[in-house]
Amino acid sequence: MARTAWPLREPLIAGDKTPAQVTIDISRPLEGRATPLWWAAFLVSLTTLFVGMVAVSYQIKTGIGTWGLNRTIGWSFDITNFVFWVGIGHAGTLISAILFLLRQRWRTSVNRAAEAMTLFAVMCAGIFPIIHMGRPWLAFWVLPYPNGRGPLWVNFRSPLLWDVFAISTYFIISAVFWYVGLIPDLATLRDRTKPGLRQRLFSFFSLGWNGALSVWNRYETVYLILAAALATPLVLSVHSIVSFDFATSVLPGWHTTIFPPYFVGGAIFSGMSMVLTLMIIARKTMRLEDYLTIRHIDTMTKLVLATSWMVAIAYATEFFVALYSGNELERFVFLNRAMGPMAWSYWIMVCCNVLVPQIFWFRRMRRALPVVFVATILINVGMWFERFVIITTSLHRDFLPSSWASYTPTLIELATLAGSFGLFFTCFLLFCRFLPMIAMAEIKGVLNAHLKPAHGLEVAEVEVEAETEPIAARSVVGGLEEVQT
Amino acid sequence: MSSRHFVSIFLDEDSTFGAVLELRKAGFKIREVYAPYAVHGLDRAAGLPRSRIGFITVAAAAIGSLAFYFFQDWVHAVDWPLNIGGKPYSSAPAWIPVVFETGVLFAGLATVLALFVRSGLYPGKKAKLIDPRITDDHFAVVLDILDSGFDTDQVLRICNRHGVGAVEEIEVPSKNVKRPTSDIATLEVWR
Amino acid sequence: MSENRYWKSVEERDSSLPRAGRSESEAPVALPIDRRGFLKASGFTVAGTLLVGCSRKPVEKAIPYLVQPEEIVPGRATWYASTCGGCAAGCGALVKCRDGRPIKLEGNRDHPFSQGGLCAVGQASLLGLYDSQRFSGPQLAGRQSGWDEVDQAVTGRIAEVTASKGRVRLLTDTVTSPTEQRLIDRFLRQFSDAKHVVYDPLSSSAILDAHQTTHGLRVLPRYRFGRADVIVSFGADFLGTWISPVEFTTDYRSGRNLDGDSPRLSFHAQLESRMSLTGSNADLRVILDPAEEGLALGRLAEKVAELAGTAYPGFAGTSSSVLEEATLDDLAERLWQARGRSLVVSASQSSRQQVLVNYLNQLLGAYGATIDLERPSMQRQGNDIALAELADELARGSVDLLLIQGVNPVYDLPLPGLAKAVEEAPFVVSFAASLDETAARADAICPEPHFLEAWGDCEAVAGVVSIAQPAIRPLRDTRSMMESLSVWLGEPKSALDLIQECWLEEILPRTSALSFRSFWDHTVRDGSALIAAEALEVSPFVISAVEPLGSVGQDEHFTLELYPTIGLLDGRHAHNPWLQELPDPVTKVTWDNYASLSPVAAADLGVGESDVVRLEVPGEQSFELPVYVQPGQHDRVVAVALGYGRLGTDRFHTAGPKWLQSKPTVDAGATVGVNAAPWTTLGKEGRGYRRSGVKVIPTGRTYDLASTQTYHFLSVPEKLAPTDGQDRPIIQEAVLEEYLEDRSAGAPHLHHFESDLWGEHEFDVHHWAMAIDLSACTGCAACVVSCQAENNVPVVGKDEVERRREMHWIRIDRYYRGDPTAPDTVHQPMMCHHCDNAPCETVCPVIATLHSSEGLNMQIYNRCVGTRYCANNCPYKVRRFNWFDYAHDDKLENLMLNPDVTVRDRGVMEKCSLCVQRIQEGKIVAISEGREVADGEIQTACQQSCPAQAIVFGDLVDPESRVSKIFGDPRHYVIFEELNVRPSVGYLRLVRNRPAITAGHVTEEQEDSHHG
Repeated sequence: MARTAWPLREPLIAGDKTPAQVTIDISRPLEGRATPLWWAAFLVSLTTLFVGMVAVSYQIKTGIGTWGLNRTIGWSFDITNFVFWVGIGHAGTLISAILFLLRQRWRTSVNRAAEAMTLFAVMCAGIFPIIHMGRPWLAFWVLPYPNGRGPLWVNFRSPLLWDVFAISTYFIISAVFWYVGLIPDLATLRDRTKPGLRQRLFSFFSLGWNGALSVWNRYETVYLILAAALATPLVLSVHSIVSFDFATSVLPGWHTTIFPPYFVGGAIFSGMSMVLTLMIIARKTMRLEDYLTIRHIDTMTKLVLATSWMVAIAYATEFFVALYSGNELERFVFLNRAMGPMAWSYWIMVCCNVLVPQIFWFRRMRRALPVVFVATILINVGMWFERFVIITTSLHRDFLPSSWASYTPTLIELATLAGSFGLFFTCFLLFCRFLPMIAMAEIKGVLNAHLKPAHGLEVAEVEVEAETEPIAARSVVGGLEEVQT
Repeated sequence: MSSRHFVSIFLDEDSTFGAVLELRKAGFKIREVYAPYAVHGLDRAAGLPRSRIGFITVAAAAIGSLAFYFFQDWVHAVDWPLNIGGKPYSSAPAWIPVVFETGVLFAGLATVLALFVRSGLYPGKKAKLIDPRITDDHFAVVLDILDSGFDTDQVLRICNRHGVGAVEEIEVPSKNVKRPTSDIATLEVWR
Repeated sequence: MSENRYWKSVEERDSSLPRAGRSESEAPVALPIDRRGFLKASGFTVAGTLLVGCSRKPVEKAIPYLVQPEEIVPGRATWYASTCGGCAAGCGALVKCRDGRPIKLEGNRDHPFSQGGLCAVGQASLLGLYDSQRFSGPQLAGRQSGWDEVDQAVTGRIAEVTASKGRVRLLTDTVTSPTEQRLIDRFLRQFSDAKHVVYDPLSSSAILDAHQTTHGLRVLPRYRFGRADVIVSFGADFLGTWISPVEFTTDYRSGRNLDGDSPRLSFHAQLESRMSLTGSNADLRVILDPAEEGLALGRLAEKVAELAGTAYPGFAGTSSSVLEEATLDDLAERLWQARGRSLVVSASQSSRQQVLVNYLNQLLGAYGATIDLERPSMQRQGNDIALAELADELARGSVDLLLIQGVNPVYDLPLPGLAKAVEEAPFVVSFAASLDETAARADAICPEPHFLEAWGDCEAVAGVVSIAQPAIRPLRDTRSMMESLSVWLGEPKSALDLIQECWLEEILPRTSALSFRSFWDHTVRDGSALIAAEALEVSPFVISAVEPLGSVGQDEHFTLELYPTIGLLDGRHAHNPWLQELPDPVTKVTWDNYASLSPVAAADLGVGESDVVRLEVPGEQSFELPVYVQPGQHDRVVAVALGYGRLGTDRFHTAGPKWLQSKPTVDAGATVGVNAAPWTTLGKEGRGYRRSGVKVIPTGRTYDLASTQTYHFLSVPEKLAPTDGQDRPIIQEAVLEEYLEDRSAGAPHLHHFESDLWGEHEFDVHHWAMAIDLSACTGCAACVVSCQAENNVPVVGKDEVERRREMHWIRIDRYYRGDPTAPDTVHQPMMCHHCDNAPCETVCPVIATLHSSEGLNMQIYNRCVGTRYCANNCPYKVRRFNWFDYAHDDKLENLMLNPDVTVRDRGVMEKCSLCVQRIQEGKIVAISEGREVADGEIQTACQQSCPAQAIVFGDLVDPESRVSKIFGDPRHYVIFEELNVRPSVGYLRLVRNRPAITAGHVTEEQEDSHHG
């Protein structure tokens, strides 16, 4: 066929799809029955989630003492998990917002799932600051609501309060962003599902979408604003603020100015890896190989490689600053990280985050799915340990040697960590089952992107056309005629 | 009073694009185009202006930020000044993160709300569809027959040149649109 | 206005009513209620009453005083002067009572020798009052009984014995009460063969015996450390557990005072084989091979004699292998230079060594100067020789009536047969207040009251009489021994009558007082009185008694050192959870005893911390104990604490929270620690606390010790130390010479902050602050228990301590510095620093911690949600978190909670409040008297009881206050000044009296030899 006769680029979507085909492919998982693989995965995650819930309820009933913390190490697993999940949550918005800005059109295959991942990750993250409190039932006290205690408001100087605002804003905006992106697809589903509860739900949530260009026009603007003006700075701010929890403290190893960029870099790093892991699973289980092509994997592994260097440089910088500052306490903390009693965690971190990603220099590795799968999992292990190292090793040997202590997690803590993964995967699997995990409306837009001249150009010319002769525009139309005849 | 619309169904992006461009060049006023996905530039081609929702975003952001700047200052410096960590009552630098976040929050919600209001989208709304396949892969260009200088033959010619799938003339007695009955079978007859 | 609406107040109901004036608002008003409303209301009331009636909840009666005692004002504390009964030292105590309940013991400033100090044991003995396991009444043949029955049984037995001219033995610990002594004499007089045997579980018998030989008088002199400029102590832990620690600490401190323009710092050398609290405070500490103690003493005596120009009787011992001549020469020189102002003490139980000590003191003219024989101490009267005889008699079963008071021989004597002997003895009367190893085998138990429940008197030092007065009605059906004896003598009298009788006849004549009444009243008010001591005729020093001592043959085996700990002493307080959880001042271990080994010895044996070893002496019971590696201990010594392994300590099985992974403090049926007393010796030489030829055999098993401090050095582990080696400027110290030249000697060069980013908050009314003198603090831990009692600090149990979750608001950090085998030691009390720029406050999301207008860092328990961020951000790690709901279910113990301090809930942060309740009280008193708060008027709990007066608390706003002056003192410093958190708690630099070379900061090779 002529169309494939002169491809400008490797197509984003394999299998030479038509829009109708796209609709069918992507709606398939929603309409058919769930695969046994899906059921297996779902049951496993549900059980883990249950285990986690039991652990948490026991902890809330008995007391935080059921965690391995002590008077020296006030935070460990809890906040480690929190930062870890927030980090995971970053790739979603990054992919959909920043890549959108950069006109990376390959994002269309992954952004929907990535955004969903963001939501679930932030949910997991949000749990920990609440359950890590000594009196979680009073968690609502961190909200500034009018009250009769003076009125006693909250302390807006506390980074924890900044977190409250950052995380909730991040969750809300991500949710909105995700939903807005979902509307046209919901409409599509509405119009192809046979009447029934699901159909009614689709039509309820698709807000009466009818594809009118006037709406598409605003929709595009809004989408651009959400992505460019809001989500992008937001995603950068959230992890910066999370890093303030540590950066604004006085504790050597926490009190570090490079934390904001360092944390954001790390977040993108871990998020990307998690997206990759999920994508590799999804394209197999959901039979979406045509949409999540090797090319996507390849591109994302490149991003992973880049961000791994960001964190690597951050690690190096920390050591340099500690050395250069001449601050004895600072120096000690970092030597202690690398050589102290908890050095093992530090070296796990370095191996997973700096060494492992280097295999992505090789094209063959980037395109070997099993390799990528394992690597990305290792990277997330490493990123979990990065937070563990920062939080725990800094605390366990701080100012007064008399207070130095060590830390071992309890079963409850391990179960809670597992539970958070249970929650995450349960949500994600349900999402794969009941919502289009790839943005149809956007995929359709890029089906033959590789046949077209770059967008900016085209738009510009069309604008010119509005008042004068559309020479360029005509040529486009002409070109198409040739193709058709 | 009732109005009459000329609906032409297209099967792909490019032909729609072409038809729209030519119709407008020929001086016809495009009433509306229906598309399954956003075709970049089609809105401009159909003569739709840039959306001005951006202003709402800016305004909302400003309101959110300012409100929370002053709220924080009021809480710590006016309502009940407390000595916390020896910091000054009104420690502006510490307000910045919350100011930023609330700005973004307000802006985001306001923008999306504006979109829904301006486009009349709301949960549970019954969709007015020109064609059920619009949300799948069909395109529809709608012109107003009652427009001054509407010329059926010329429009048909243009649409045909761009490989129109089907054309349809529909009555719009009141607001709600009657579903067109045409399908591919009738198209053959048309050709 | 609607007719049937409820209203909270008349004003609310009818706004037209005037709000002012009670009288008006109470003016009668017509109730706006109609018939239906009335019926509704009454119906509800009836139903309600019925419902309430049906419920079967226990009725909690709150009975008001029918007759209000005028001294009791609800919410206002009443204070009684009394005498501490924690041990035989007899320190003066003030009892703080709230609503008729003693809730706190404090030192009595007016007491002649304790001078306001009170040790950890004294503070904690309050808890003993509320011990739910005390006998509720007399026991006969192991079952509950009444006084009449018991008296019948005893008097019956007495009759038999007198008839059969049987043997009667009364076994007590040191009796310091004149009245008791008087009763005992009278009681025993009626028998033909009666003896009063006295022994001290922690015996100093040898000292008395030595004075018998050298001065012809069996007496324990009173040591005046305050008068001494040079103190040489051979293993005497006089700051910790030896004879009268509070008295000695106070006195010692008075001789080491750097305040003012003429600082005085006595030189203190400690020659010992294990690391004692006293040794840890010494200016010169010599690790002595126990086998060579006598030798060292002899060589020192010889050298001093040389200097004195007299001939040392007998030959000079061979040169000691451990002690270089130089050290001995130096000591001798110093002692001689300061003759008349120098003192040699020894804890040795060998009377031959004690004779040498007396000889030394004689040469140095210590008698009459630093050693007081006119007013000797009565705190140790035990006679081990007599005890040994009694042991034989018991073994022979030839004692017809045995009465035991104040001691627990079955537990603390090394006599395997004793338990059986006591059981088989025809009739044994015990006066124990709660079940112990001996009482369990007694026929009759006549429980004595707690010293806070009964009248008592005491003459702990000749001429210093003090009164113990009841501060609460006896909680149990008890009777003090003197009362029992008086009953059995057939002339029942109350303790008060007996004491007054005795005082009228024996004490009053020794005073210049005119009327008994006034003398009595004054003494009861002040708690003590100074009277004339009975004159003792001291015979001239018997030089012939002095015989030289050589080295005891030492084999390759270990020498076992048995020592008492600050908390448990001889084990009489083993049932006191505060003392069990009190970290040992040196090892910081709680809830257990252990085998201390020097690092070298441990390395040789291939064992480390908490490896279990077996201690064996051929042909004797062996013990298994976990190892504790103790720097500064002799390599051939294994040290084990006494006082553990007491019967019934498995009561702590339930101590601390229970949850999935919790471990019990002690296994059911087991005991806390191991009783090492069977390894003490009792023989011709009296009681010994040292065994040679002990084998230490690793068992390969491990047993975890719960320690509150697991890293012990000031410098970080060597391999982690940045290039220049890191010795953190937490402890700043100087030596005397340097200090005399430059008062700011020892200050490291740190950044000082001239300006701030933002303006400071002004503290114009008060700015409370505290200063701690590291030169004064001995680390005795009195403050820790004092704080625990004052602030309702819970006991958390061994498992929680092991998890590093102890709750003490004030802890004492103990650091080693220098050579890890023979380090310098320093004690640093650490509590909330109340920083003006508190890092904890900024990070709390809910403003649960913030600064008061008086410079206090306040913790608001009911606002805290428990994020623990504040604790993470605290440089001093002084915040304590309620990880669980800590037990407050012992109703009896709860009587002792301080009503002025909240009992904290689970999940909230807590910490030192600088005793804000005391500050408030002080302010209220001052206001009610229409004056300013006077400096020193408000005392924090830790400050009040500190025997060394190391803690000063006051107001920085008042430039004349002591604390303001100290903050201006060049010796003053704050920890981590460079953080600019502006602590309100500061320290006074440690000054050691030693030549400049060895002291000050760590030298290179010491630094290298550090290990983490």
